[in-house]
Amino acid sequence: MIYRETGTFITSYLEDRKLFPIPFDKWAMAVFMLFMVFVVPFIASDYWLAAHLIPILAYGTAALGLNLLTGMTGQLSLGTAGFMCFGAFFTFNIMLRSPEWMNLPLAMMLAGSVTGVIGIIFGLPSIRIKGFYLLVSTLAAQYFALWFFRSYPYFLNYATATVTLPDHHFDFYGIGDVFGVDMASFEAKYLMSLGVVSALALFAKNLMRSATGRNFMAVRDMDIAASVIGIPVIRTKMLAFFVSCFYCGVGGALFCYAYLQVLGIRTFEMNRSFEILFMAIIGGLGSIAGSFYGTVLVYEFPILFSWAGDYLFGGAFDTAVVDNVAKITYGILIIALLIREPGGLAALWATAKQKLRTWPFPH
Amino acid sequence: MAAGNPILQIDNITLAFGGVTALNGISFDVAEGEICAVIGPNGAGKSSMLNVINGVYVPQEGRVVFKGQDCTRMRPRQIAQLGMARTFQNIGLFQGMTVLENILTGRCMKIRSTWLEQGLNIGRARREEVENRRAVEEVIEFLHLQGIRKTPVGKLPYGLQKRVELARALVAEPTMLLQDEPMTGMNLEEKKDMSCFALEINREYGTTIVLIEHDMSVVMDISDHVVVLDYGAKIGDGTPDEVKNNQDVIDAYLGVTH
Repeated sequence: MIYRETGTFITSYLEDRKLFPIPFDKWAMAVFMLFMVFVVPFIASDYWLAAHLIPILAYGTAALGLNLLTGMTGQLSLGTAGFMCFGAFFTFNIMLRSPEWMNLPLAMMLAGSVTGVIGIIFGLPSIRIKGFYLLVSTLAAQYFALWFFRSYPYFLNYATATVTLPDHHFDFYGIGDVFGVDMASFEAKYLMSLGVVSALALFAKNLMRSATGRNFMAVRDMDIAASVIGIPVIRTKMLAFFVSCFYCGVGGALFCYAYLQVLGIRTFEMNRSFEILFMAIIGGLGSIAGSFYGTVLVYEFPILFSWAGDYLFGGAFDTAVVDNVAKITYGILIIALLIREPGGLAALWATAKQKLRTWPFPH
Repeated sequence: MAAGNPILQIDNITLAFGGVTALNGISFDVAEGEICAVIGPNGAGKSSMLNVINGVYVPQEGRVVFKGQDCTRMRPRQIAQLGMARTFQNIGLFQGMTVLENILTGRCMKIRSTWLEQGLNIGRARREEVENRRAVEEVIEFLHLQGIRKTPVGKLPYGLQKRVELARALVAEPTMLLQDEPMTGMNLEEKKDMSCFALEINREYGTTIVLIEHDMSVVMDISDHVVVLDYGAKIGDGTPDEVKNNQDVIDAYLGVTH
């Protein structure tokens, strides 16, 4: 009875298609968003913003992008970090080389679009190959990105290893001066990231509950049947690559601009791709909210575990040992979760909601 | 329903996979508005025939003419756009989606809004969702699927899955419906339902139906026209009564000593 749907009557098809058919959900989401926008920036310390909330938002965008491709459309990809790399570098270059009127969110969108087009190029093999073989092709994207930006230092403005991203890139038509806010502060970066991520998540949600999303899922579940009922399979796959890589590109831009504050090639090595793949899998393939649950879990758990390990055994054992044991425990937990619930955290949450609906009288 | 002009002409189709000839010089016509059954023993090439008709396989020789257009080399999607829908032998539903979503995919050719409009959920995209939902609900009512709208199709029993697949084919408003063994693995009750649906679709919407079926009593009851295949060749073609008395057909089904 904590969570109920009685008393909600659906009287039109439009109502049946709502994002939050249950009023409780709607209000909970509204309260959550208001809290994130109006309360968090004021109560959270710089450490919490810079080392927890902002990276989660940046990772979450990339995980969502991967989830659109792998979870929704069934095209495996290991090129996530490569696409993030494109997004970050293009954003930096657009900001660096554009006239005054350019602003960071717009630059991210443009860079994301270019990344999307690159994604289409690397997605072309998906017309003929599936599954693990496609992984190889997307792996090429990963290595191509690193090679490309290493070979052409122009894109890093001829810096040796990394570029510190200048504060004036965050300036949004002097709006900070008007309100007396430092636009390069963590609070402002957090709010910008939150805005971008919320908009992208909402867009993804809308896309998934409309014809395009159904086409994505149809291609994932059975592409022959999809083509027979008239779904343009190749176009759908290419669109999935575009949208996914757009998200990854924006994720990469947020990662550098909002989180790291520096731009460098080494940020986007192979293991970043794996990390984001784990986020998408653990959160739940095919779930938009799941991408963010997975991100929180994968990002926070190692921190939590090593902290707990330090706290419990810190004095008794070597720090490195405690750290490794924490990692092993975390790995085992992940395996247990995936055996118990292959649908990831999103499926777990759906089950919990189902239970809450009938609690305390489950029969 | 009275048979009209030929809507589908199969002309001398030959299809081979490597050294195996699945279809060997097959020709027959399907008249507009009829129910045509394609029968034959296992491995006769019936499913291959359907796959050739809707473009999944491209034959080495011969022509398929649908509504006066040569569609031998068209892609399945182009043929679907001409008004051909199909159900599969081994259920071609999208297992990860609900019944409603599955049926909605059948409306994909009616979508005019772009993905950007859909992502922003504005104007045309919103309207289309409601229009398509209305069309889907009509078919849901027609096939009595009201109770399972929001169920993931993977959780449904076999007979219902077949019915959902039929619904998905129907919402596209096809002029021709291909059904590959729509009644296999069903009990008597479900078979009766499926036969009734086929007849009703045929009468109410005037949809031409080509179906593959093994249950002879069903075939003889509902079809206007029967084509019999055996080892990739056509051995019989005519009304159910003609086919029933065709010696070649009897031999193929009962076996004959050579």
